[in-house]
Amino acid sequence: MFKAQRRTVVTVAAVAVVIVAAALVVTLTSGNGQASDRTYIGGGTSAWLYKPGHRPAAPSFSGTTLTGSKLKSSSYAGKALVLNFWGSWCGPCRGEAPTLAVLSQKYGKDKVSFLGDDVGDTPTNAQTFAKSMGITYPSLNDPGYQTAQDFGKAVLINDTPTTVVIDSTDHIAGVIYGAATYGELDTMLKKVSS
Amino acid sequence: MGINQGLAAVSGDFMIAALLIYSLAVLAFAGDLAFGKPRRASTAKAATAPVKEKELATVGGASDSDSSGGSDSGGSGAAPAAPGTPPALPEQRASVLQSMRDAGRWVQVAVGLSLTGTTAHLVAVVTRGLAAHRTPWGNMYEFVTALTCIAAIFFLGLMIRYRAWSLGIWVMAAVVLALGLAETVIYTPAGPLVPALQSYWLSIHVTAMTLATGIFFVAAVVGILFIVASRHESRISGGKAVEGENGLLARIPGSKQLDKLAYRTVVFGFPIWTFGVIAGAIWADEAWGRYWGWDPVETWAFITWVLYAAYLHARATAGFRRWAHYIQLLGFVSLVVNMLVVQVFVTGMHSYAGLS
Amino acid sequence: MTSTRTPESAPAREESKPPPQLPLWKWAWRQLTSMRTALILLFLLALASIPGSLLPQQGIDPGSVQQYFQSHKLIAPWLNHIGLFNVFASPWFAAIYLLLFISLIGCVLPRTFKLAGESRTPPPKAPRFLKRLPHSAAYVSPLPPREAADAAATVLGGRRFRIRRPSAEDTGDWVSGEKGYLREAGNLLFHLALLGILVSIGLGGMFGYKADKLLVQGQSFADTQSALDEFHPGRLVSGSALAPFDLTLKNFSAKYLMSGQDFGQPSSFKAGVSYTAQPGSPSKTDTIQVNHPLNVDSVKVYLIGHGYAPEFTVRDSRGHVVYDQATPFIPASTSTMLSDGVVKASNASPVQLGFMGVFVPTAVSHGNQLQSAFPAPDNPAVSLIGYRGNLGLNTGKSQSVYQLDTTAMTKVAGSPHLMSPGQTWKLPKGQGSITFTGYKQWASLQMTYDPGQIPALVCAILALAGLLLSFMIRRRRVFVRAVAADSGTGSVVTVGGLTRSDASGGFEEEFAELTAELSGSAGTENPSDSEGATGAEGAEGAEGATNQSETKA
Repeated sequence: MFKAQRRTVVTVAAVAVVIVAAALVVTLTSGNGQASDRTYIGGGTSAWLYKPGHRPAAPSFSGTTLTGSKLKSSSYAGKALVLNFWGSWCGPCRGEAPTLAVLSQKYGKDKVSFLGDDVGDTPTNAQTFAKSMGITYPSLNDPGYQTAQDFGKAVLINDTPTTVVIDSTDHIAGVIYGAATYGELDTMLKKVSS
Repeated sequence: MGINQGLAAVSGDFMIAALLIYSLAVLAFAGDLAFGKPRRASTAKAATAPVKEKELATVGGASDSDSSGGSDSGGSGAAPAAPGTPPALPEQRASVLQSMRDAGRWVQVAVGLSLTGTTAHLVAVVTRGLAAHRTPWGNMYEFVTALTCIAAIFFLGLMIRYRAWSLGIWVMAAVVLALGLAETVIYTPAGPLVPALQSYWLSIHVTAMTLATGIFFVAAVVGILFIVASRHESRISGGKAVEGENGLLARIPGSKQLDKLAYRTVVFGFPIWTFGVIAGAIWADEAWGRYWGWDPVETWAFITWVLYAAYLHARATAGFRRWAHYIQLLGFVSLVVNMLVVQVFVTGMHSYAGLS
Repeated sequence: MTSTRTPESAPAREESKPPPQLPLWKWAWRQLTSMRTALILLFLLALASIPGSLLPQQGIDPGSVQQYFQSHKLIAPWLNHIGLFNVFASPWFAAIYLLLFISLIGCVLPRTFKLAGESRTPPPKAPRFLKRLPHSAAYVSPLPPREAADAAATVLGGRRFRIRRPSAEDTGDWVSGEKGYLREAGNLLFHLALLGILVSIGLGGMFGYKADKLLVQGQSFADTQSALDEFHPGRLVSGSALAPFDLTLKNFSAKYLMSGQDFGQPSSFKAGVSYTAQPGSPSKTDTIQVNHPLNVDSVKVYLIGHGYAPEFTVRDSRGHVVYDQATPFIPASTSTMLSDGVVKASNASPVQLGFMGVFVPTAVSHGNQLQSAFPAPDNPAVSLIGYRGNLGLNTGKSQSVYQLDTTAMTKVAGSPHLMSPGQTWKLPKGQGSITFTGYKQWASLQMTYDPGQIPALVCAILALAGLLLSFMIRRRRVFVRAVAADSGTGSVVTVGGLTRSDASGGFEEEFAELTAELSGSAGTENPSDSEGATGAEGAEGAEGATNQSETKA
């Protein structure tokens, strides 16, 4: 009787160990695969350029800017566009703002256009932010994340900030998740504007 | 909607009245125990223990010492228990009134008082609901008064169906104890409900839980009696005690009957508990956005369910059967812990006890 | 996992020592699927759940887990190490229920096959001595044995018993009848449905998601991952799977009891919303309440919290408006709605300004302490502490909007400043000002999508149905044997009955009725010699016997 009970315990323990081990193996090996339709930039997996032929079409959008004027995606047709989702409340946005300000000057209006999409924010806060950061390009007033949702169909916008680079044929050339670094965005823009 | 204070007061009065009448019923049952017509004990005097079972099986041509009585109406016509030989749980064949007459004055008074008390109890619960314009189990006090009412009704039905008069004192005493505690320790005046409880699922989920708790309450009392009786019986068979030596123990029905009674009670309560948990899950989905979230109260309802399931399995398994009733009691303990400890002291989404 | 064990299957499951010829895996499998193991696992499951209800759980209340870590510095890391803050997702909890379910499968599958086989084979032959069965009766029939048995078979058939009659090589005149196969079917259904519930939960965990969003009155949001405050996707879900609706919180109202002992207790919460299910589809309105979620595109939207968002306008030392926003404050007490929050004027120049404050809907002062007497906004006020310096946002690090990092800041004034709506606090030395312009209410919404929900519900209902079937139906066998009477004419018919389990009781009544009907059909008026033998339930009696012998062993 006693022996039999001990055997039961041993059996239970043995099978438990096997199951736990199997669970661990599954957790450790799954995920983290890199997709083959893109070239990663900057060493990580948070910024990439789509390979030619794999670029998703950019959705059209329209809205009102922070200063109250109407704006449509069609007015950027035929030109490369950097669309930056940001908010004055967001720390990383503050971190990347100088980079965006500098690069928007470097590429100039005729080569690459820059547009912000100000989410979850108020126009007053956003405008003082842009002013203090030296950002001169316009931003859509998008407190309800409408444009972010529109773009979500083509490419995942999972957090703020996210920067989407659109080529002159209205296709999404690349994405940067989190604060964009000078190196990442400059590399992308060189490719897109050439 | 305001509270009808007049009705709330009526409810309070009836609750006190029920408690008093129940107490008198317990006294009457005790009187039966002390001075009433001897039943099981007399067989020990009339015959020596070893042949008792055999005699019982033949007397009246229909006695069935093994069955719980409820299932044994097969056979010839009414067989009023002959003096000196009735089994602990007499036959159903005898009509209720006949059986009560045979059981003696004390039992008649006790059953009468129990029925009166239950009526008062029911009136108290219903008027409480009418006063607050809702199902009267929105806080801990109401829950306990409702579940004791259900336990009393369920038990009286059981007692009358199986003529189990000798169980009356034990279950009714437990009801008095629980109701007394409710009146003194956790009394909460009638009030409206917080938004989370404003749902028809309150009626469905809590009604099922109240019903099941009331039924498990009876099963637990019978389970304790089973453990006492079976220990006593094994002492007798081991020669450590003599049949009929202890008057109190001789008045408890045999362990086999008690085992079956408890089993059938649990079998009745378990699906209701299961339904209550499912209804609670549906409600949780409606109110909190998930049907199961391991909230402390959910966790303990699950533990209770698992323990009663273990009881049902253990009782059906040779070698585990003698542990079955301990498991059943553990299940009831977990139920009480959930009700009185977890819902009151552990913070969770079910913190509605209204005792803070 | 058999809730009633048939005597036939009992020996296999009671095996505890491996017979020498049995391979180890087979023995282990038998051990795992034995009732003993199942019971141990059931106990472990109950036991393992307890810490999950007593310790704060990461998946339910992460804030309390953090608090626990702070107040129990010594043991918390150890408890965390063995997964006690995430019991229901821990490997050992999973090991218990997976083993339990493997054990269940190991028990239920063979029984399913057995039942399928039994339902195709006729009942066993009638035993020779029916009087030995737990239930037996006898009557005299004027018919010869063969016809008496035929008549009995007709009665049993009419009562939907599965019938077996003697074949050519059998001797005697008898009938075997069996009924109540649904009992075992119900029992199996119950166990299989439990398995189904587990699978459904897994389904929800893989393909479902849960998300939170706080909206101030008047604000709207499009359901997309970056708009969400919290997003908990299932293992196989990405943000692009979100339903593309958008929703506006048009108004929010909370009502509280104004009198009685439950003074201040909420009596209703209502969030008026308008929404479009798809871009371009017509806008609809709805009122979300605590027990009344909104259903959009199979996603349910729940009202899970509410609070106040005081509106502030901050000017810097130059007089420029640098902050203008309704700022959600988080209730520290849901009974009084005293709430905490912060204002970060990160664009103030030349130095950033920050405010840490308390909002009270009904302000009362207890000495120097600002408190709230009632959750409704009867006398709203804020009390602010001002800071100047570096908010710590310039590094580009992510920061909670509800917390102020004051490590690089200094207070602008010694004591907190109390304000009513409309009042402005001019900061000392011309450092700027803050105006408390008013307040709005906010509601926090939870979006859930759980594809396992309906399957789980269906399985739960099936489990309950199976449970009821197995409790209410009894499996029983009735045998009838007729022999020629000694007198030469007619026959003596004996009836025997056996039930394997009788949870709800009542077989005796049925047997008595059946006997009466049988003897009636045989043309006899007087059933004789009816015996309710000892042991109302044959199988239970047998088990009782084994039980006793084990006790003594």
